[in-house]
Amino acid sequence: MTIIFLLIGISLTVALTFLGAFLWAVRSGQYDDAYTPAVRMLFEDEPAARPAGHDINQPRP
Amino acid sequence: MSASVLERPATRLACTHCGDECPPEPLLLDEQPFCCAGCRTVYELLAAHNLCTYYALDERPGLKVQAVELPGRFDYLDEESVQAQLLSFRSPERARLTLHIPQLHCTSCIWLLEQLGRLDAGIVEARVQFLRKEITLSYRPDQTSLKAVVQLLASVGYEPQITLAELGAQPHRASRTLYYQLGLAAFAFGNVMLLALPDYFSWVEELQAGFGRFFGVLSLALALPVLLVSARPFWHSAWLGVRQRYINLDFPITLGLFSLFGVSTWEVLRGTGPGYFDSFTGLIFFMLIGKWVQQRTYDALRFDRDFTSYFPVAVTRLLPEGGTRSVSVKELRAGHRIRVRHQEVVPADAVLLRGAGQIDYAFVSGESTPVARASGELVYAGGRQLGEAIELEVVREVSQGYLTQLWNNPAFAKTDAAATLETYANRVGRYFVAVTLVLALGTLLYWGPRDPALMWQAFTSVLVIACPCALSLASPFALGAALRVLGRHQLYLKNGTVVETLARADTLVFDKTGTLTDAGQAEVQYHGRPLTAAEQALVATAAAQSTHPLSQRLAREATGPAVALHTCREVAGQGVAAAAADTAATVRLGAAAFCGFAPTDLAAAAPTPTSGAAHSAAADVPSQAAAAVPAAAGEAPAPFAAAGAVAAPETRVYVALNDEPAGYYSFHNVYRPAVPALLAGLAGLAGRYRLAVLSGDTEAERPRLRALLGERAELRFRQSPADKLAYIAAERARGHTVVMVGDGLNDAGALRAADAGVALTDTLTNFSPACDAILDARELGRLATLLAFARASLRVVLLTFGLSFCYNGFGLALAVQGRFTPIVSAILMPISSLSVMLVATLLVRRAARRLAL
Repeated sequence: MTIIFLLIGISLTVALTFLGAFLWAVRSGQYDDAYTPAVRMLFEDEPAARPAGHDINQPRP
Repeated sequence: MSASVLERPATRLACTHCGDECPPEPLLLDEQPFCCAGCRTVYELLAAHNLCTYYALDERPGLKVQAVELPGRFDYLDEESVQAQLLSFRSPERARLTLHIPQLHCTSCIWLLEQLGRLDAGIVEARVQFLRKEITLSYRPDQTSLKAVVQLLASVGYEPQITLAELGAQPHRASRTLYYQLGLAAFAFGNVMLLALPDYFSWVEELQAGFGRFFGVLSLALALPVLLVSARPFWHSAWLGVRQRYINLDFPITLGLFSLFGVSTWEVLRGTGPGYFDSFTGLIFFMLIGKWVQQRTYDALRFDRDFTSYFPVAVTRLLPEGGTRSVSVKELRAGHRIRVRHQEVVPADAVLLRGAGQIDYAFVSGESTPVARASGELVYAGGRQLGEAIELEVVREVSQGYLTQLWNNPAFAKTDAAATLETYANRVGRYFVAVTLVLALGTLLYWGPRDPALMWQAFTSVLVIACPCALSLASPFALGAALRVLGRHQLYLKNGTVVETLARADTLVFDKTGTLTDAGQAEVQYHGRPLTAAEQALVATAAAQSTHPLSQRLAREATGPAVALHTCREVAGQGVAAAAADTAATVRLGAAAFCGFAPTDLAAAAPTPTSGAAHSAAADVPSQAAAAVPAAAGEAPAPFAAAGAVAAPETRVYVALNDEPAGYYSFHNVYRPAVPALLAGLAGLAGRYRLAVLSGDTEAERPRLRALLGERAELRFRQSPADKLAYIAAERARGHTVVMVGDGLNDAGALRAADAGVALTDTLTNFSPACDAILDARELGRLATLLAFARASLRVVLLTFGLSFCYNGFGLALAVQGRFTPIVSAILMPISSLSVMLVATLLVRRAARRLAL
């Protein structure tokens, strides 16, 4: 059953890696702004066509 | 003129840039309609740089660009001292700074601002922090300058807010501590639970026998950092409270946590048992989640602003030896001469030397009608000059001004003492400590003579189970849910404890100007000989030519087709004169003298004193000049009260047609449309609240207010900012819980002194003084419902307190009998925590539904 020591050692190492990854993510500012990146991700690089003028009251003839 | 001409055109186009309605003949570019030249210029600029994606991402994202391009407006940004304070990093190749941009509102804004590098090659990187409405810019100082960058931002409609408060302030950092603490607690909780698993199941007893000690020591090693780092908010707050001889809710929590940890360590080191480390780490994890829920506030709103957030960074100083220089406002001394241009804020109390002052005190008093000042008169800090540039001599330094002195009041010295705040939770916490200690001692005395071995176990079990962890979760979750409901209805609270204060309030105090009345609206009435439709059209057209607020209001009021004007001339501080192109009719709008009204006409036409706030020159109102110069610094009369006083009875714009006096338009303050709904809501509460109105104006409005608010309301007029503060402080001293609803800087003292200060604002991103809550003016009518909801939320908190007491009682019953084991703890702890979280959140939601919020 001494294998338990090894198993627990491995599981703790894995868990510590995740904790380290989390702390690094917080430290590098990934938790500072939880909104803008989600929007930024959707931007495309190509320029869009020019917009069309609309009528407030009714469709243009 | 026939009726058909007066008909509005059937179709109106929406401006491509800002979405506002275009005038009948819109400006066109690339077949796109634009409402004004400003919008078209921005479009041109963006189109030239292939940035039209801006218009594709969101519907008409643009903001109307105010055409206030003044030479030298941003000159102060070239000053070395200003740059040193604004830039967070600088080297010859790279400079970085963070700017606050209140106009940020949509996806397109983010996109455009992050593409700034395409408009100015010197900008290397631009990152938007949307919720906080901030942009972090990196640029190359050798290719562009700070001034050029800010000018570029202003030219596309995103002028950053650079005020005195931003100087020397570090860029806003989100608090990451809680995330570290939460992560560590989660890590330890998960792993300790894994190690504790053999305890729970009898079929792995063999494993427990062989490795129990190893598991125990490992758990201890995992739990120790949790105690030191993650549990810090609790023991730190308890310690702060104890140092001030105050027992808060964190005290029994800390007591419980330390007993839990102590007992577990003792058991593990003695080898007598596995300890309660899984419960210990789990409790801290859940309680930190409670803190996290409570901490989520509104990033973009600032609750701690004072006058420095509104005052400019720099001002143009006229040097004694000639020439001008941009100097920091903080360096201004008495005797310095300054120049204040159109739309700039007068930063210090000063005497007007040259030019016609039209001072808009909207931010100070909520009164948007500008006040006329002539040379020799005193101008108080905080006013915004409209019209021509004026020269002033500073009388008092910025920090010694009439208005800014308010901030020397002790009310502003108090810091947020969260550790000793008298909330229900803290009050309950005190009783909790007493009951726990009595029970623990009782257990000790009972078991001592009977079973010494069981004695210590029972004693520590009582301390452990008495840890009011479920209790500490009740109020963050209930109040956090209430905060979100209120936020959906545009009442933004600084934190959860404000809900409690609102619920306990028994006195509501309102400011009048700008709070009960709507500064942006006025009732316009015409007095004099009847005007023909053609004359009305001419008046409207002439009024539309002036940027003066009264003219703009008049132009909105008087309808009619645009008349082609032959000439149009505006005399600053006097009025507008115009002549029609086709009929040769002339019109003069403005001050009485400007329109040829003789003083005798005035006396006949106007029994009340003429307003000095209209286009009139000071000569019309000699009394105003006398009132404007204070006797002594400490005993200054209320200038804003005085300013309001002359504006309050009546503000007039005179009209002369073909050089013949025709009549005048009078402007009255109007109460917000929400006021009747607000008062009806409050009246429905059967006299729960005492009402009061504090006004800086004269008593002219007393009958109207009396009729609106009823017999029992307290009405006070001619109140200076310091008077308002004193009134609130006196009410509190008499044992009332006071909620102050106000706007403007002159209410800042009262907002601060009140138990809860609610700042009313028309646009959330605009300036609002330091307060505990910000309410959108459109929701004012629902204030009574929102207060009722706050009371309902508080009842939910008390109810969940009851629920958590049940758990504690159950645990205690086991503990005093010495039957409280790690397994019971491991089952009871998560059940109690989770159920309290759930019940608190659901009950608050139900309360919101009941009140139709």
